[in-house]
Amino acid sequence: MNQWIAVGALGLVGLLIPLGMMAVSSLLRPSVPEDSKRATYESGEIPTGTTRIRFNIQYYMVALLFVVFDIETVLIFPWTVMYRNALEGGATLTEVLVPMLVFVGILVVALAWAWRNGAVEWARSPQQTRSVTNEQR
Amino acid sequence: MIAQQKTLLPERVAGLLGLDQFGMAGDLLATFLAAFLVGNLMLAMTGVAGPWAKRKITAAFTDRIAVNRIGPFGLFIIVADAVRLLSKELIIPENADRPAFDLAPIVVASSALLGFAVIPMGNGVHLADPEVGLAYVFAVAGIASIGLAMGGYASANKYSLLGGLRAIAQNIAYEIPLVITAASVVIFTGSLRMSTIVQTQAEPLLTVAGLSIPSWFAFVNPFAFVLFVVANLAEVGRNPFDTPEAPTEIVAGYQTEYSSVYFVLFYLGEFLHIFLGGAIIATVFLGGPAGPVLPGLVWFIIKIWAVFLLTQWFRSAIPRVRIDQLIQIGWKGMLVLSFANLVLTAIIVGVIV
Repeated sequence: MNQWIAVGALGLVGLLIPLGMMAVSSLLRPSVPEDSKRATYESGEIPTGTTRIRFNIQYYMVALLFVVFDIETVLIFPWTVMYRNALEGGATLTEVLVPMLVFVGILVVALAWAWRNGAVEWARSPQQTRSVTNEQR
Repeated sequence: MIAQQKTLLPERVAGLLGLDQFGMAGDLLATFLAAFLVGNLMLAMTGVAGPWAKRKITAAFTDRIAVNRIGPFGLFIIVADAVRLLSKELIIPENADRPAFDLAPIVVASSALLGFAVIPMGNGVHLADPEVGLAYVFAVAGIASIGLAMGGYASANKYSLLGGLRAIAQNIAYEIPLVITAASVVIFTGSLRMSTIVQTQAEPLLTVAGLSIPSWFAFVNPFAFVLFVVANLAEVGRNPFDTPEAPTEIVAGYQTEYSSVYFVLFYLGEFLHIFLGGAIIATVFLGGPAGPVLPGLVWFIIKIWAVFLLTQWFRSAIPRVRIDQLIQIGWKGMLVLSFANLVLTAIIVGVIV
């Protein structure tokens, strides 16, 4: 029998157990509808401002970097699988290792470029930069 | 391959219950029962770990007693807490993005459970053994960050949103060192199949005074092992990398607005992820279920609990890093080190073979 059926079965179990817990909980728990307790939780204070805040651009930068490197890990996996077998099969080191070194090398250059441009440095707004320099004075 | 001849758990269950004579339906039922068994085994672990072991371990580190009122060693607190948490009122915050808010806890909990399908737990408790096992387990473990981001965004709370963003930034920063370090192990095994990875580690590395030490990859390549454990800590969001839920900064991160059963599911999902991380470490670096005297399943459980104990130890002992430090450690430190490890391993294997 196909092994992925077992994986699917575990997926089904993983879905049924949370749903079952939700069902049990909905039978047990009280419901006291009241508006004030549904307010956004900000440690007991009256919530200020909107929820859709402006957040640091850094999160986009690392996400972009991730896309590059994640595809790269996908491409590295087949190489790691065949590497030893190819060597034992009589391939020379230059045939199997050097192409990969070039590939990793290009990515390392990309990382160095991103590093120099400050993509992995925590981004500060001009306002924050000013307050930091003030602190240092 | 030899690995394929070993019977997996679904066939064993079918054989034991005599379900194999009912054809397809019997096979499906046996598979479901096997999956149910594995799922419940891991849920039992988290049941013990969450309400009881975590408290006891932290209390031991901080010189307190912790739960001791109900049952021996306070063990029945597990039942009491389960009932208590499930019978809490469910409060949905106003402005919550409804379908996403409800789906997020399910995604977090079930994605963690899915990973255990390919983990060999010893004594034949092994649900499936596909050829892409290792890649599959990382792929499935990565789904959780979608759940965390969903929860963070749908809660309509600044702190939740920030927690969700941090969770993603952290998971993606440490996913790459994690996968690259695992790839350095695959260079030795030449296969992504979990049973082959475990088998390769059974060969003796060297013999010291009549004791043969198996070639567990933690012994063969300790540097990769340390890298993997650290990246895994970040991946499951434990100290010193628990910035996504940093209680002193952003209340409780993505789970701030969750209550009742939804909170339980988030909590459960996190603990399942710690154990999944432990299971990956045990399989890839610690010889899977192998060990002397005791049966394999017991060794497997000891190993994953050792990883759990480590996370709780760090929780009591190590301060949290800031989010900017976290990004820098991930991209400037771990990534470079993991690439160095991969290239060095490849060169060394190339020279030896």
